[in-house]
Amino acid sequence: MRTRAVRGLIWQEIMLVLLYVFLYFPIFYIIYLSCARNSVWPFPPDFTLDWYRRLWIMSDFHVGLGNSILISAGTAVIAMILSMMGAWGLMKYRFRYKGFFISVYLLPMFIAHILIGVSTLMFNRNVLHIQANIYSAIVANATYGISFGFLIILAQLIRYNWQLDEVAAVFGAKPWRSFVEVTLPNIWPALFGAFLVSFILAFNNFDVSFYNLGATPTLPTVTWGTLRHGIEPELYALSSLIIAFVLLTLGVLYFLIRFGWVRIGIPEK
Amino acid sequence: MLLRIEIMEKGEGLISRVFRNRRVRIGFFVLPATAYLFVFLILPMISILIFSFWRTERYVLIPDWNVHNYVTIFTQWAYIKFLLKSITMASFVSAICLLYGYPVAYFVAKEGGRYRLILLILTAAPFFTGTLLRITAMQHILGPIGLLNMFLANIGLAPIQVLMYTNLSSSIGFVYLWIPFMILAIYLSLLNFDFELLEVAKIYGAKPFRAFWEITWPLNWVGTVVGLVMVFIPTLADNATPLFLGGMFGKLYGNILFNQFGESGTWAMGSAMGVVLFLVCFAVIAAFGQTINLKRMGYFGG
Repeated sequence: MRTRAVRGLIWQEIMLVLLYVFLYFPIFYIIYLSCARNSVWPFPPDFTLDWYRRLWIMSDFHVGLGNSILISAGTAVIAMILSMMGAWGLMKYRFRYKGFFISVYLLPMFIAHILIGVSTLMFNRNVLHIQANIYSAIVANATYGISFGFLIILAQLIRYNWQLDEVAAVFGAKPWRSFVEVTLPNIWPALFGAFLVSFILAFNNFDVSFYNLGATPTLPTVTWGTLRHGIEPELYALSSLIIAFVLLTLGVLYFLIRFGWVRIGIPEK
Repeated sequence: MLLRIEIMEKGEGLISRVFRNRRVRIGFFVLPATAYLFVFLILPMISILIFSFWRTERYVLIPDWNVHNYVTIFTQWAYIKFLLKSITMASFVSAICLLYGYPVAYFVAKEGGRYRLILLILTAAPFFTGTLLRITAMQHILGPIGLLNMFLANIGLAPIQVLMYTNLSSSIGFVYLWIPFMILAIYLSLLNFDFELLEVAKIYGAKPFRAFWEITWPLNWVGTVVGLVMVFIPTLADNATPLFLGGMFGKLYGNILFNQFGESGTWAMGSAMGVVLFLVCFAVIAAFGQTINLKRMGYFGG
């Protein structure tokens, strides 16, 4: 009986390790390719930084990067503020129709991104009669940003001690002041998490941004254009930089949480 | 409570007097996001519903009410085929993600201990590098000049035909893209699950499988459903994966939909295809939603 249970555990461990290999091998292979002179069969390794140098001087990637950052930052700010207010209202007060509001906030998660993209494109073009631009892309990307932000902030507010607010009010703090001085120091990790996740998702988004941008390039749409004409090795360099950025950010976040500098979400038992 | 009201009444302006009304306060917090999503998500969705009953002529929508687009989608084999192919693909991919993701999520939640967080972040991290990037990365493993086939060619073997621009390689790509969602959903559900229940079942003589089937599985059904839906929907709608991994003959519904808004510029037809896509997703969510009984699963009241 006991050996059987142990054997089961070993199988689960193997599955976990295989999953990590499956998830990370292609990503790390791209990083490897970005440093290889010959990208079709890069063995034995012959390392070079040429692709990074070429990427550095390619202007369409620079424009794309600038637009991507602008779109992601705009999206993240909208998503963070709106999801914060929603989660706060839902958690602080008792009222009817909570289920309705939760469904609305989570709705974007259950609508395919391509549908968000084409429906906002059609709406802007044929109802509002406005040309697709960076702002319409921000507005469209923020829809699913709100959902993710809402879930993240909700996870933190579940642990929030509402009596702190009462105390602040008793001592005469105006709601805004109590928010800045009492609430914010307690929940900023969740706000930051909501910002970061919406930022990264919007940064990498293709389906929504593509339809909302017209001729304005972002990194994913430039990538898309490049890919359609066959792969250029500069793309490996770009991909590697994005991978490094994401992994580093998550790594830093992990250590912040692990050593208790910030607390987010459900407590470790 | 009294004290608080007295203090707040001192020198308050119109805004704070209005804010004393509970309804106003609740509305102030919950309505902005609701209004935002209504205007920028629900209205656009309604607009494509309307346009789907119009027609397009030379890249221009003409308000000429008809159901021709829907008739085309449901009678022409070309459209039915792609829809069925996509539904099959999405079901298959969701099933694989569930079969592989469940044991992994279970292991991380139950045995992870102090490493739970890092194990979870490691499964979620690739997701944040972006779908387009990950699909091209997978193409470099599976594609005709990918690592796998180049390796086989270098040691003098024939390339694996079933992995070159086929539905199988698309499905591997989809699993690669979305399995983090499945694991995360099941993990979060298991996090609130009391594993002691299994000990109780064991004491009463239940075999491990029976304990799993009658306790763990039904009590974490919500997580399973969320995971299934979160994998099914993006797979059903995706167009990049079949393009880069599926190739010429691996096209799916998403590719056809994508073309309506791109090269062919048939907006009305595209809108109708979008509505159909939404309805399929909605039907799947509704069907699974029916099976969820939150009270029985211990979420409300219990």
